[in-house]
Amino acid sequence: MPVNTYTIRIQRKRKTSDGRIDSHWKEYSVKATETTTILSILEEIKGEQDGTLTFRQSCRSAICGSCAMKIGGRTRLACKTHVGVVARDNVVEIASQANQPVLKDMAIDIGPFFERVHKITPYLTEGPETDAVTEKTAYDQVNHVTQCIMCGSCYSDCTMAEVSPEFIGPAALAKAFRFVSDPREGQKTKRLRQLAEPHMMWSCARCAMCVETCPKDVKPMEAIVKLRTRSVAKGFNDGPGPKHALAFHHDIQQSGHLNEFTLMMRTVGIMGTLEELGTAFHLLKKGKVPSLFPHKSAGLAELAKIYEILEQNPLDVETKAKEVVPE
Amino acid sequence: MSIQFAYYPGCAAQQVQKEADAAARAVARELGITLHDMPRATCCGAVSLRETKPAFSLAVAARILSEAEESGRHLVTICNTCLQTLTHANHRFKNEPELLEKINHVIVQAGVRPYKASINVYHLLWVITDQLDPKAVKAKVVKPLNGLKVAPFYGCHNLRPEEIFDAKAGEAADHLDRLILLLGGRPVVYDGHDKCCGFHVMLSDKVEMRSMVARNCLNAKDAGAELMITPCTLCDMSMGSFQKPAEQVVGKVIELPEMNFAQLIAVAFGLDESAAGLDRLHVSPHAVLAKQGIR
Repeated sequence: MPVNTYTIRIQRKRKTSDGRIDSHWKEYSVKATETTTILSILEEIKGEQDGTLTFRQSCRSAICGSCAMKIGGRTRLACKTHVGVVARDNVVEIASQANQPVLKDMAIDIGPFFERVHKITPYLTEGPETDAVTEKTAYDQVNHVTQCIMCGSCYSDCTMAEVSPEFIGPAALAKAFRFVSDPREGQKTKRLRQLAEPHMMWSCARCAMCVETCPKDVKPMEAIVKLRTRSVAKGFNDGPGPKHALAFHHDIQQSGHLNEFTLMMRTVGIMGTLEELGTAFHLLKKGKVPSLFPHKSAGLAELAKIYEILEQNPLDVETKAKEVVPE
Repeated sequence: MSIQFAYYPGCAAQQVQKEADAAARAVARELGITLHDMPRATCCGAVSLRETKPAFSLAVAARILSEAEESGRHLVTICNTCLQTLTHANHRFKNEPELLEKINHVIVQAGVRPYKASINVYHLLWVITDQLDPKAVKAKVVKPLNGLKVAPFYGCHNLRPEEIFDAKAGEAADHLDRLILLLGGRPVVYDGHDKCCGFHVMLSDKVEMRSMVARNCLNAKDAGAELMITPCTLCDMSMGSFQKPAEQVVGKVIELPEMNFAQLIAVAFGLDESAAGLDRLHVSPHAVLAKQGIR
């Protein structure tokens, strides 16, 4: 395999005496083949060129999660990322994870991330909802999210965490789903009630960045969608998130289309709507007001019938993780 | 030669973002793409319906896809969220025959033709950048953008999850960049091109939503963008109409003209205001376009 010369641009970060982070970009030139891992390249830089470079690593096998960092604009594990995949014109940019406090260079303080995970009580709890029998299929749901190695990649790339330090984040919510789905868990309802609070599951913007970024295919957003489904089924429908979501099936049967005019009222209530009057007038200036009576689709009776059939005979359509068979 | 599609504009394009619909229809006409309306199609339900009524949401999608299939055409849309919702359902129908059978069993009882999972769901932008001859598109450009620096804002739901889409998605996607080049503009590289516009948390997390808008727009501007385009009517609403409310949250002036991709094509094709719909935009692009001698 041909050897190329790569330019590795690293955002060097250092804490100053007054606690600020000083940062600047530094370039290193490294010879490597396309399949050389970023971790090997960082080791070469640290060993041969600049011993002051700081990064974490341990298992080299995408299991420990220590070496998650921004590589080419996305958070990835340095140990499983080939330089050829992320280089653009033989240049790769590397920086620390985002949305986390930096200690030095790529080393971050993972503490606040784990504080969020601990908020969801990441262990089985005793209670009245423990199932007597654990069916084999129960593992389908738990399976997916137990692959999580807590590397923090999803939280680093989360578009909601970027603007909201209060948001609990994808990893913690995926972990919460693992316990809500576990037959042995005794407090499923209590967990769902907690997850319906502000800055928890309903604050996910559903951008699916975590699905793409996760190095272990945990698909946190899919877990969040399933948590919401279970929560709505339990009747935890207070708050703008569930109210908004619940407006859809009504409108689709009524006219076929969303009644965007009344959607805001139904989501945030009268007081919320009054608060938003300034925004409404702003939108009005360019005629961006929805019709109170949206156009009706043909064949609406079919929708009402479908809805009725499904309410009487509910169908389980939830995606299941593939069964893992030991090789 | 004409390409035929079943056209699914989505709720926003039929109500608040009418300009995107008008531009899409006009541009398609110019390019020999025939868009056939779908009189029976309803709202796709977005992720909201998937969350509250998962089986109903699949049945709604099957009914929409079945209408397009019956007409013998693939479906095309101009809303990222409709694209993702219908593609997600279609992907499952194609890969889970038992699920399709269960859903068909329900919709047939309601008098709906069963869906055979034989069609694809496309974005109109993909049709233009991937299915047409680039030379044919370029030949229609009478008002080239003359190097105008345009920020492509892809949004989320035409990119992720990558594996479900019938076009290049995820980090590899470049359709919006290629369109800008075809029209004679310069695509701007900036942090935020594939991030979230916040539309789906507009009402539940309004400060956060506005912060997302501000962040993405300001990053684009800092990278030199004079204009932003999106392939999505919901992103348009956020990045365009909500720029002013976003300015109030972050205390900074943004003023980055933003429009739907189809509107910019209409401008480059020299189509009139009824097609381009520039007067319906909250941040006027007129000065920027005039400076480049485009309009």
